[in-house]
Amino acid sequence: MKSLATIREGGAANWAFRIAATVVVFALVLYVPTKTGAGTIQTAIEALVLMGAAMSLNLLLGYTGQISIGHSAFLGMGAYTTGILVSRYGWSPWYTFPVAFVLSFALGVIVSFPASRIKGVYLALVTLALALVFPQVVTWKKLSWLTGGGSGLPTKDAQVADTGFNIGAASRGQMQYFEIFGWNPLGDLRKPDNKAAFWYWIAVGVVVIIYLVCRGLVKSRVGRSMVAIRDNETAAAVMGVNLVATKAFVFGISAGLCALPGCVTAIKTGGVSPEGIQSLTVRGAITFLIVMVVGGAGSLWGPIIGAAVYVYVTDITGGWASDEAIPGVLRPFFGWAKIPPSDGIFAVLLIVLMFVAPRGLVGVWRQYSPRIVRVLPRPAGTTGAAPVAIAATITNTHSEGEHE
Amino acid sequence: MSANGYGVDTQPRGEDEVVVNLLDVDDVTVRFGGIVALDGLSFSIEEGHICGLIGPNGAGKTTMFNVVSRIYQPTLGSVRFRGQELLRTPAHGIARLGIARTFQNLALFPTMSLLDNVMVGAHSQGKVGFPRAIFRVGAAKENRETRDFAGDLLQQLGLGPLAFRPAMGLPFGTLKRLEIARALAAKPTFLLMDEPASGLTHGEVDELGDTIQQIRDQFGLTVLLVEHHMSMVMSISDRVVAMEFGRKIADGTPAEVQQNEAVITAYLGTS
Repeated sequence: MKSLATIREGGAANWAFRIAATVVVFALVLYVPTKTGAGTIQTAIEALVLMGAAMSLNLLLGYTGQISIGHSAFLGMGAYTTGILVSRYGWSPWYTFPVAFVLSFALGVIVSFPASRIKGVYLALVTLALALVFPQVVTWKKLSWLTGGGSGLPTKDAQVADTGFNIGAASRGQMQYFEIFGWNPLGDLRKPDNKAAFWYWIAVGVVVIIYLVCRGLVKSRVGRSMVAIRDNETAAAVMGVNLVATKAFVFGISAGLCALPGCVTAIKTGGVSPEGIQSLTVRGAITFLIVMVVGGAGSLWGPIIGAAVYVYVTDITGGWASDEAIPGVLRPFFGWAKIPPSDGIFAVLLIVLMFVAPRGLVGVWRQYSPRIVRVLPRPAGTTGAAPVAIAATITNTHSEGEHE
Repeated sequence: MSANGYGVDTQPRGEDEVVVNLLDVDDVTVRFGGIVALDGLSFSIEEGHICGLIGPNGAGKTTMFNVVSRIYQPTLGSVRFRGQELLRTPAHGIARLGIARTFQNLALFPTMSLLDNVMVGAHSQGKVGFPRAIFRVGAAKENRETRDFAGDLLQQLGLGPLAFRPAMGLPFGTLKRLEIARALAAKPTFLLMDEPASGLTHGEVDELGDTIQQIRDQFGLTVLLVEHHMSMVMSISDRVVAMEFGRKIADGTPAEVQQNEAVITAYLGTS
C-alpha cells in the first residue's frame, strides 16, 4: 500500500495535524452556543449526552468486550439521582454529579459479579433485563415517595426552572455571564430562554471529563489488560491480569461515567420520568450501542463521531414530517410515511454501513488515511533500530505459508 | 551449555551446592467427570534445567500445563514452586511468582500489535492500576519504560521490524516467536512451553531448539517443555519425563528414557 506522504509520530508535521484538529474541534464547540439558536443548542446537548453514554459503553464493550444492553439503567441512575436530590432535598445540582457517579459505580460493580461468570449473548440478556427492569422500578407505586412513580419527579423546581440552576449562593437567580472584548464565548447566558447555552457547557464539561478518563485508562497498562481480556481471557489471566477485579472495575467506571450524561439530561429536562427521557428505557441502551458501533467500537473518537452523525441524521430526517419538507429527490421514497421516517432511514444507513465499514467510521479513517499520510510510530526500544526496512527479510525467513 | 544430546548434566555447579527443586508436582490427579486426565502424577524439576515432558496424544501433558498455570484445579495432589504451594495462588498470581507459559495453539491478542502483545506480557511487572491510570500518576513514564523493554525483547527475538503490525494474519512461525517474547516479558524464572515446535518447518525447529537454549542461558530460566518433536526434546533437555494415560511411565536423562521399555511400548505399541 503506497502512501503519498510519510510523517513521524511526534514530528513537526504530526504536531501540526494534531493542533489543526484540536482547533477545528474547539471552533465547532464554540460555534454552537454562540452562533446558533436555542433549538440547535438543544440538539447539540442531545448529541453530547449520547456521546457521553456511548463513550462509557465503549469502555466496557469496545475495549473490554463485555456486552451491555443495560446502560440506559445507569444513565437513569444519574438522571434520578440528580432529580431526587434537587427536587426533594434542594441540593445544588453540582453536588449531585459525584453522588450519581458513586451510586452508579456501585450498581455497575454489583452487576459485574454475575456478569464475570457469563459471556456473550447471555451477558447481553442479563444486562437487557437490567434495562427492562429499571423503568419498572422507578415507576413502582411503592417507591413513588422517592421517584414520583409513573408521573415522574416534580418538574420545574424553582431553582432549576429559573436559572438552569444556581451557581453558588451569590449568583442565585441569575446566570453567569462571560465576555471577552464584547464577545461572549459561552453564548448569551443572560436571557432566561437561553438556559440551553448553560446546559450545553455542562454537557461539554461532562463529555470532556469522560473522554479524559477513557483516554487515561485506555493508554495505560490497565487499558492494555482490558483489550487483552477482550482478545483472549485465558491468556490475559496467564499474563497476570485479574479478570474478576478488572471486569468489576471497568463495569463500575463505565456505569459511573454513564450516569453523568444522565444528570445532564435531568437538569435539561427539568423533570425525570421514563416517558420524558427516552434514554432511560431500553431504547436508549440500544441507541448507545448503535452510536458506538457506527462511530467505531474500541476507539476513543468513535462514539463522539457516531453520536454527532446519529443526531445530525435523525434531526434532519426527523423534520420530514410533511411531503414539502422532504428534499425533492427523496420525496417519492419517503412521502408515504405518516411519521417522520428518521428511524427507518437510520436503520437502512446502519445496514449499509455494516457492510462497507464494519469497524465504524473511525475504522474507515484508519483503513484509508495511511494511503494519504502514513504516521510512523516512534521506534520502541533502547537500541532505536530502524523500524520498517528489514520487515521483508523477517517475514521470509519465518513464514511457511499463512497459517490461520 | 553443551547440547550433547545425552542429558549429561552440564550445568556448572559446585560440589557442595544444594540442588533445589524449582517445581515439585506431587501426586496430582485431575478428573473431568468420569475421565481421569492425570492419575497421581509426580515429578520435580531442578532449577536451571530444561525438562522435557513427552507422551502420546491424550497423555495429559497439556492438562499438566494447565494445572501448573492454574487454569485447571486438580482434584487431588499438590504443586509446589520453590517449596511454596502453588494451588493456593489464583491464576493471575502465577505471573508475579515468575512463571510464564506459551500456548500450544497460540493464545495471542490478535487485534493488538506485536509490541502491545509483549507489553501485556509485562503486565505483572507494572504498577499502574485504575486510579493511577485515570489521574495519570506515573502512567506515561511506565508506558515509556514498558514500551522500550518490549521493543528490546522483540528485537532480540528478531521481531523488531514487525513491532507495529497487528498479530492477526502473521505467519505461524512468527507468532510462535511472539509467544516466547510475550512470555519472557514477564521476566520469568520458570517458563512452560507447550509444543513450541508444532506447526514449524524443519529449519524452524532447529532454530527454535537453539533459541530455547539461548534464552534459558541468557535469562537464567528453568524450562518445562512439552513436545512431540523427539529429536529436539532429546537434544536440548536435561531431563525427560514420559507420560501415558495421565501417569508417569519414565523419568530420567534423555538417554535413559529413550531406552525405557515402557516408553518404547507407548510410542510403538507391543509387537
